[in-house]
Amino acid sequence: MAKHDTPLLDELENGPWPSFVTDIKRQAEKNPDCWDILGQVELSYKDKITHWKHGGIVGVFGYGGGIVGRYSDVPAQFPGVEHFHTVRVNQPASKYYSTENLRALMNLWDKHGSGMTNMHGSTGDIILLGCRTEALEPFFYDLTHDIGQDLGGSGSNLRTPANCLGQSRCEWACYDTEEACHHLTMHYQDEIHRPAFPYKFKFKFSGCPNDCVAALARSDFAVIGTWRDDIRIDQAVVKEYIAGKHPANGGSYIGGDWGAFDIEKEVIDLCPTECMWMEGDELKIDNAECTRCMHCINVMPRALRPGVDQGASICMGAKAPILDGAQFATLIIPFIKVSAENEFENVIDIIENVWDWWMEVGKNRERVGETMQRVGLPTFIKVMGLEPIPQHVKEPRSNPYVFWSDEEVPGGFERDVDEFRKRHAA
Amino acid sequence: MGMSDEEIQAKIIEKAIKAPKPQLYIKDFYKCDPDTKPRKIKNLANDLVKKGELMFWSSGSTTMYARPDRIKDEEGDEGVN
Repeated sequence: MAKHDTPLLDELENGPWPSFVTDIKRQAEKNPDCWDILGQVELSYKDKITHWKHGGIVGVFGYGGGIVGRYSDVPAQFPGVEHFHTVRVNQPASKYYSTENLRALMNLWDKHGSGMTNMHGSTGDIILLGCRTEALEPFFYDLTHDIGQDLGGSGSNLRTPANCLGQSRCEWACYDTEEACHHLTMHYQDEIHRPAFPYKFKFKFSGCPNDCVAALARSDFAVIGTWRDDIRIDQAVVKEYIAGKHPANGGSYIGGDWGAFDIEKEVIDLCPTECMWMEGDELKIDNAECTRCMHCINVMPRALRPGVDQGASICMGAKAPILDGAQFATLIIPFIKVSAENEFENVIDIIENVWDWWMEVGKNRERVGETMQRVGLPTFIKVMGLEPIPQHVKEPRSNPYVFWSDEEVPGGFERDVDEFRKRHAA
Repeated sequence: MGMSDEEIQAKIIEKAIKAPKPQLYIKDFYKCDPDTKPRKIKNLANDLVKKGELMFWSSGSTTMYARPDRIKDEEGDEGVN
């Protein structure tokens, strides 16, 4: 029996799509506190303002992340959501669950929380919505002791690392994303559970440039699988595609009236760097010009495969539009071997280098991508100890001046700025 | 010779007591000893949280530090210990 009239929310049940209102009503039959969610959201719709206050001192002992404080600013009206804290639970790599584990998680959440979930949050965590302050510690104890899971990151912490399915299901994964994600999650437990930085920091691991976890758009530190030799071509199977023996794109478009497969129109003409052509009935690729966009491989997966010298590109600085607008990550390291054999030591070295610099130079609430933008890519590359390469160049230069530092000039030079200013006031 | 861990922690607490605002960013503590690496300062501040001398305050996206007796609990208690 509904506790509040919700005519505005009820409208959201009228369409053909699934409705969160219906979901919450269903949950409210089990947990009456959930009626107050609907009541408060209805009030927000009327008032055109949120009635959630966020932030606070809530957490579990020893941790500085994983719990996001949420309070109602109208608790007398809606006591069921007076405290409605969000709990972030670190998801398993690639989000593989057993049904036993999922049932245990839901039983735990029904016991300690509202029973409402958001599977999964945009970072990838299991998001459990709605817990009273006094239930947090008992929930955390049961989570860690009974089902062996842990909280994820929030606040100025390393956020819960996320990865694609990787080599567990995908033939294109150029490194073991699950192992990398798991290893770095364990390696950086302190940074996940306690604040460490000027602002949030996210890792994401994609096995190939298809980038199924959208690491390029969503993470400060994106490890995206790639290869540095030639795309493997099976010319016999290319001919079979042309002859219509295999559906393009793994059969994704079967059923539509697309006509016969046309390799010129569907593959060669769509290559962004125009590095493919036919010589007779053989497909040719100028691999030096290939930017690993994956289009040709996606269209003809039986005929084309990534090369065998595999690793990853490191891109840094992506973020959502909080301060300066959204930005994609910038390619910093075109190729690096990513291997569990050396415990991802070379990736960790890069991470630590960025952190040490960002912790010192980054302003409060400034993502590493914003710090990079502020100091400029040339300075950032120098800080990282890298040599500039053509891939770092975004566009032809528009500034005609070249500034040399003394170590870049044979013999160097000495310059006393104070002495100069005596003669030339600023 | 740089400051000892105890000296830096004493300065962090002093800063947390005297700062005009009760909540401080981790960078505010870097100035307690400019010769010490930020990561070390962070570890010392987090250690003070463990000891109950400081506590975390989080908006969900950013985390700050505060003295327990200077911060207002959202649940209505003045000063949380």
